Amino acid sequence: MAFWRKNLAFSQLAIVTNLEYRFNFFIDAYLQPLITVGIEILLWIAIFESNELQTLGGFTKEAYLAYGVWAPFLGRVAISWMYESMMVEDVASGNINVILTRPISFYEYYLSQLMGYKLMTTFLSLLVPLSVSLYFKLPVQYDKIPLALTLVFFYLFLLHTMSFIVSSIAFFITKVRSFTLIKNLSLFVLAGELIPFDLMPPLLKNILIALPFSSGVYIPVAYITGRIDVQVVMGGFVSVAAGLFVLSILSYLIWKKGLSEYTGTGA
Amino acid sequence: MKYLIHKYIEIYKGFFKASLVADLEFRFNFFLLICAEFVWYASQLVIYQVLYRHTKLIGGWDQKQMQVFMFLALFVDSIYMILWDSNFSKFNDDVRKGQLDLLLTKPVNSMFMTSSQKISISHIPCFFVTFSGLLWSLNQLPEFSWIKILWLLIMIPSGLSVIFCGRFALNSTALLFTRADFLQYVWYSLFRLGLRPDGIYSSLMNGALRKILIFILPFAMIASIPTRFLLDAFNPGLLIWALIMPSILIYLTNKYWKYCLKNYTSASS
Repeated sequence: MAFWRKNLAFSQLAIVTNLEYRFNFFIDAYLQPLITVGIEILLWIAIFESNELQTLGGFTKEAYLAYGVWAPFLGRVAISWMYESMMVEDVASGNINVILTRPISFYEYYLSQLMGYKLMTTFLSLLVPLSVSLYFKLPVQYDKIPLALTLVFFYLFLLHTMSFIVSSIAFFITKVRSFTLIKNLSLFVLAGELIPFDLMPPLLKNILIALPFSSGVYIPVAYITGRIDVQVVMGGFVSVAAGLFVLSILSYLIWKKGLSEYTGTGA
Repeated sequence: MKYLIHKYIEIYKGFFKASLVADLEFRFNFFLLICAEFVWYASQLVIYQVLYRHTKLIGGWDQKQMQVFMFLALFVDSIYMILWDSNFSKFNDDVRKGQLDLLLTKPVNSMFMTSSQKISISHIPCFFVTFSGLLWSLNQLPEFSWIKILWLLIMIPSGLSVIFCGRFALNSTALLFTRADFLQYVWYSLFRLGLRPDGIYSSLMNGALRKILIFILPFAMIASIPTRFLLDAFNPGLLIWALIMPSILIYLTNKYWKYCLKNYTSASS
């Protein structure tokens, strides 16, 4: 019980902190998703109209529009720039000392905040893809959204573990911004946000789907747009769990080694 | 005037030296930053490679023409990244932590100071790679007239003015709201418009959208229109626009910057 109360408090902290600057929050929750969705829609409409295509890679214009609406939305949920930067900064600057003395682990402290923040922004900005999908009558199966979002939030544990590894590396190398950049840019491709896997060669497509990263964007979007069935989603859960298992061991080892070498200074 | 130019060149030299030292201090990070940029550029190239597996033309361009466009877009982007991006990325933090005040007190132009203090050395390899890519892609075109490449001397600075002014104006907004970090993500979304050929918008809204992207939100001027100067027949109207537009954008950005500064309440104590 105390465990949940503690974590809930940090989730609330993240929500309050982000709502403090409302203009900034408005941009994050509404303006940016709206612009991104608008631009993606334009791209796919333009590709189909300028070539007078009926289908592309076996899918219709509406199917790509649905992908263009939902992929950037879930892509924003399934990425961590802000909290990873904060974690890295804490380790590199020594601010981590404050957290180490608290009755909560560094991992938990930021996981609760990440989850609180992601829950809030997802819940509030869900309005954007929903209204666009309804307006354009896109082939979206709305009853599948809860399961798809559950997979994305499960994937956030994996994502946070990756952030934890990157921040633990800061015990050894002070500047690790490049790790965040490489990781997030790679995830942009591996998750399927850049381009739907359906357009890729079959072998590459199957490999990408089998990797846990596809559970961040491709699998949930493909599921709600009717491209894949529930078995693939379940496979996504398994794949994320396996990834989480491997990365947890790795993160534990790096964290332990880093902490043993770390010298905290300051009053 | 001569003294002023000399002064700014000297300051810029100082900025370059300081940036070089700072970037090379953490060499592994520096090396990985270069790799990160290549991942980003490769991903942008992959989009069209994949799309051309399914269609012959996109926005009226075949794969070879699209390669010219993409390498030119990435080349312009690499120049922007070297000169300004790291300054714009930390601008919001500077505002929030009150560090901007220190920059504003310096006896140099405040727009110059806030936009040019840090030069991103790690992007210099990308500059050469994307330029080589551009030359390679032009070489792939049958009967390309190499004299046309001189148009880039006008078109690239014009395109850079769009990126500079757009990003600067968005950043200036942070002065009004103290915290506007997420505006930079809005910029990244908008910038995608510049990474797409203007031709794909010709069939939308009777071509009005394409005109908007050339004359109102001129993202097409970053790489699309410059590519047309290389691939298509000469268009005097667009050349005049490419010459006038930077002055208009810089004038408007300067006005907006001054307006924001007037309303800036400072975050430092």
